[in-house]
Amino acid sequence: MNPFKLVIKELFYRKVSSLVILITVIAASTVSVAIYTLSKASENETRKIMREQGLNLYIFPKGTNLIDFYSVNNTPTFPENYIDTLAESKTFDAVRHLTGILQLKYPNWTDPNGSSHQIVVMGYKDEAMQRFLSKQETMGFDVEKGTVHVGSLISVNIPEGEKFKITGHNGKQYEFEIAKRLEEGKGMLDQGVAFNLIDLQQILGMEGQINKIEALGCVCHDGRINNARNQVQNIFSDLEVTEISSIADARENQRLMMNKYGSFIIPFILIVSMLISALLFYSNVNSRRYEIGILKAMGKSKTFILFIILLKALLLGFLGSVVGFFAGSFIAEYFGKEIFRFTAMAIKPLWSLLGFSVLIFPVLWMLSSWIPALAATQIDAAKTLGKE
Amino acid sequence: MLEINNITKVYTKGGDKFTALDNVSLKVEKGEFVAVVGPSGSGKSTLLHTIGGLIHPDSGQVLYRGSDVYKMSNQEVNRYRRQYVGFVFQQFHLMPYLTVLENIQIAKVETESKNGKIEELMGKCALLPLKNKYPSELSVGEKQRTAFIRAIISKPEILLADEPTGNLDPENSKILMSLIEDFHQSGGTVLLVSHEVESANYANRKVTLKEGRLITNNISSTLTDNNRSGFFS
Repeated sequence: MNPFKLVIKELFYRKVSSLVILITVIAASTVSVAIYTLSKASENETRKIMREQGLNLYIFPKGTNLIDFYSVNNTPTFPENYIDTLAESKTFDAVRHLTGILQLKYPNWTDPNGSSHQIVVMGYKDEAMQRFLSKQETMGFDVEKGTVHVGSLISVNIPEGEKFKITGHNGKQYEFEIAKRLEEGKGMLDQGVAFNLIDLQQILGMEGQINKIEALGCVCHDGRINNARNQVQNIFSDLEVTEISSIADARENQRLMMNKYGSFIIPFILIVSMLISALLFYSNVNSRRYEIGILKAMGKSKTFILFIILLKALLLGFLGSVVGFFAGSFIAEYFGKEIFRFTAMAIKPLWSLLGFSVLIFPVLWMLSSWIPALAATQIDAAKTLGKE
Repeated sequence: MLEINNITKVYTKGGDKFTALDNVSLKVEKGEFVAVVGPSGSGKSTLLHTIGGLIHPDSGQVLYRGSDVYKMSNQEVNRYRRQYVGFVFQQFHLMPYLTVLENIQIAKVETESKNGKIEELMGKCALLPLKNKYPSELSVGEKQRTAFIRAIISKPEILLADEPTGNLDPENSKILMSLIEDFHQSGGTVLLVSHEVESANYANRKVTLKEGRLITNNISSTLTDNNRSGFFS
């Protein structure tokens, strides 16, 4: 008789115990899938939230005075094509979202009312696409050529529909469409204007020059800043790297938070479920002593007995993993909508996880049935069958 | 065919030793029907299970066609139990989730003859109409007949029957003993453990065990030929 048929018939005969084992697999796979899916959603959510906080790495010429740098006093510049070299490098992968910036004080900007103001002008180069890394959504400012984004304090002085006007280094008057009036709370840019880099370079007569690169450092095992600095300086020894650690830490902590929960809860649930299953398998083997005894008396090998117990675990593990995947994905979607503001609609079943689940859970449940299966092979047929 | 030489088996329970078999020797020829009788606890079942390769004796040999069963590899012992020995127990030990037919199929070694032989035997044992029934739907007699077919379906040379009529009423006992006798008549060797004189009288030799020792080893003078219905003729 086909052992598969034997196992299926036994599964249906001992419905309750089979169902309880199945429920433990479903519970474990549901929780694992739900937590994993939510952790991925959390990563995306974090990415979105952190995008709002901006980039965390500054790259600038060595020897730049940091007081001048943060005060936006005139600091040394360097060629903007440095970014292209970095983006083309195969080994440069610790830093993403490279955005070249020219940032200066503009001492006498005259508003439409005729008043003069000191403002900050920032020119943004389009974010560099790193050739050897996967594409990512751009994070930095994206200012179209011929347009500007004006800070909240500046925009107060410019009536709706009016263009932004500024005088260039050569005395020439430049006009720009106001594409965006920025909300309050952008720091220095509240009293500043964001340009496309080329436009600002033209205004200031600084073609091809930038004075900083803003970027995003990776979460690296050997330290964010060290890794980024080494990679940058291997290519350009005249550049220095510094980090806004509060943003970087917040980003890293947010990203790791769900992973930390997951790395505790998933193994915990798995171990508890596997232990419960192991006890249930043991009880199942005990209640099948006569059957196993008679199989031995009929000359069935220990391997056959081991096989039918493990096959049962494999079938329950497989079925439980499939049901658990859909249940876990549903739970993640249902609760994810309540938890995550930005990425709620993007929470979908992770299909690659289905393949992983149907491989891993049957193996885990075969492991949990291993000791009971070994115990089954040790059942003394003579003692069992000789009982009256 | 079967030679048991100086078998000793001692059980230990809670520090107390109990000798189930004490230096027992016995020869069984092919085609013999041997009844093992004796009071409870005399070692009858232990002897049967030892012959069947289920209990490892502390000393002595069980030789089947000259090979010591307990010096065989695991594979060889399994093959010995699967092909050359069939067991019938007092408690039928049918798989509760398998039908009558499936309970028999599970013991079948060769598959090429499909279910022809099984159905022939089921017909002879009046079980054919019940082939799709589960053990819980059977009478005790029907259960024991199912267990009997399961024991002989692989055409074993030796049938080891441990109190097979112990749970049956006289009528069902008679039917079962007739089936066992037919197996014997068709050339099979039978070792029967029984308390019941009627059952033991089917044998052509009786051996008596007492306190683990073989005390008589006689050719029976009361071999009967009644109730043989020719199931295996």
